[in-house]
Amino acid sequence: MNSFVGIGYRKEFSDDFVNREIIRPSFVEVAPENWMGIGGYWRKVFEKITEEFPVTSHGLSLSLGSPDDLDWSFLKKIKTFLREFNITIYSEHLSYSKCDNAHLYDLLPIPFREDAIKHISRRIRDVQDYLEMKIAIENVSYYTPVAAEMSESQFIASILEESDCHLLLDVNNVYVNAFNHGYDARDFISSLPLDKVSYIHMAGHEQVEPDLIIDTHGQNIVYPVYELFDFSVERLHPVPVLLERDFNLPAMFVLQQEIDKLNQITQKHWNTTNVFSKGYIPTAI
Amino acid sequence: MYLAKDTYQQQSDLATYCRSGKLSDNLEVLPRRVKHYRRLVYNVVNDSLVSAFPLTVDFLSQKQWNTLVNDFFSRHKSQSARVWEMPKEFCEFFSASPTPLFSTYPFLTDLLWFEWFEIEIFMMEDQVFQRSTTDGDLLKDPLLINPEHRILPLSYPVHLKNARKINPDEKGAYYVLLFRETGTGKVQFLDISAYFSLLIDNLKKGYPLFPVLKEFQQHMDGSSLEQLIENTLPFINKLREIGFVMGFKENQ
Ligand SMILES: [Fe+2]
Repeated sequence: MNSFVGIGYRKEFSDDFVNREIIRPSFVEVAPENWMGIGGYWRKVFEKITEEFPVTSHGLSLSLGSPDDLDWSFLKKIKTFLREFNITIYSEHLSYSKCDNAHLYDLLPIPFREDAIKHISRRIRDVQDYLEMKIAIENVSYYTPVAAEMSESQFIASILEESDCHLLLDVNNVYVNAFNHGYDARDFISSLPLDKVSYIHMAGHEQVEPDLIIDTHGQNIVYPVYELFDFSVERLHPVPVLLERDFNLPAMFVLQQEIDKLNQITQKHWNTTNVFSKGYIPTAI
Repeated sequence: MYLAKDTYQQQSDLATYCRSGKLSDNLEVLPRRVKHYRRLVYNVVNDSLVSAFPLTVDFLSQKQWNTLVNDFFSRHKSQSARVWEMPKEFCEFFSASPTPLFSTYPFLTDLLWFEWFEIEIFMMEDQVFQRSTTDGDLLKDPLLINPEHRILPLSYPVHLKNARKINPDEKGAYYVLLFRETGTGKVQFLDISAYFSLLIDNLKKGYPLFPVLKEFQQHMDGSSLEQLIENTLPFINKLREIGFVMGFKENQ
């Protein structure tokens, strides 16, 4: 068991996380922004984590969808961090979090437009060239379209095509968006270039209005999202699956139950033993 | 630049709305939904500031605090890619352009900086520690001091008492030594005098205690060198006890 599923590391996790006593993820994901260029207590904790687990990274502040120039000095720090800890997976969001030279620290929706596709694809290519690796971009939850001229799936597919990067498929985000914008989640997933999926996110969400769900990462995964996950896994080659839980953290055993459930589903469809085991490299990474 | 002017404008209008609450007529969004972005963005910024400044939050009323956060977020362009560093910009912003609240509570800037520096020292990158030995002469051999420290000059004793108990007439020259304990990584702080602040600055440069005190004595009226040594040694011993002075520098 626990072959495919990792968890996003939170500073709130206590020492028994590394001991694998209650929770046994097969890898952990971290936000480079929280761990790069630091020392002292958290640096020691992070070193321990990297010794105990394979580590993947998922960025917050690169702001691929920003109209601003890429922040090269920031990217340089990212590269140093990835190299220092030998982290070979780096993903970011298909959104923007910086505009007019101001960070906003959250994920804003990009206008689904042709010029934005060209702009962002170019930026992704530049990032990949600089990092000398492919990155994965994540489909984000959004609560309103912004001056959209095409569908979200068309937008994502075009960027994947033009930038030659991977897709981090966040299944919960697909569910949230399908609910919020009234489309069919399965059709949406089927319309994506699934051969480009290199990584999956799973999370919980919160319904705040009759017709609005917010992607909070603060609740357990709901049954329909597991179903959508099952539907997706059946159509994908084996890739790492990440459980995201950022707020309202439950007891560790509850997170392990979610990890178990995700593993059960993956094992229905994928027979590779461990995405991180020696000699196995996920094909798309 | 592939991005069309209008697309840029849409993105800029959305970001401006999130920061300031001003919704442009040209922004093509669902008005009922877009408000969540402002709420979410505000919450991230507020949460980060609340966790950075617990003493300030406790001291101010909710309304005063919210006004500060709004003021900062709508007028300041945050440059930190790492959200935990953004509170430093909050300190810089209000140091450079204080609002009337900072006249009502003249110690507020000090309180913010004091809270920030605890974070900065806690998080700072690991520094190189020179090799040290326990054998040496306190006066003649250079002392090894913990490089993971900072001396913060303050005008009010925010490090000594609850903000509610500080009077405007307590304005003065205060110095706090903040340093990171090597084992636990915890930040310790110690109230020190201007004299000891200067002393630490000199020791940091690698000068042994004796020539430093000799130099000090020449600029002081009335004190003999012996008196100065007598007054200083207990302080140095205290610094050794708490682990700030780590021993003597080993000859390279
Ligand atoms: Fe995600």
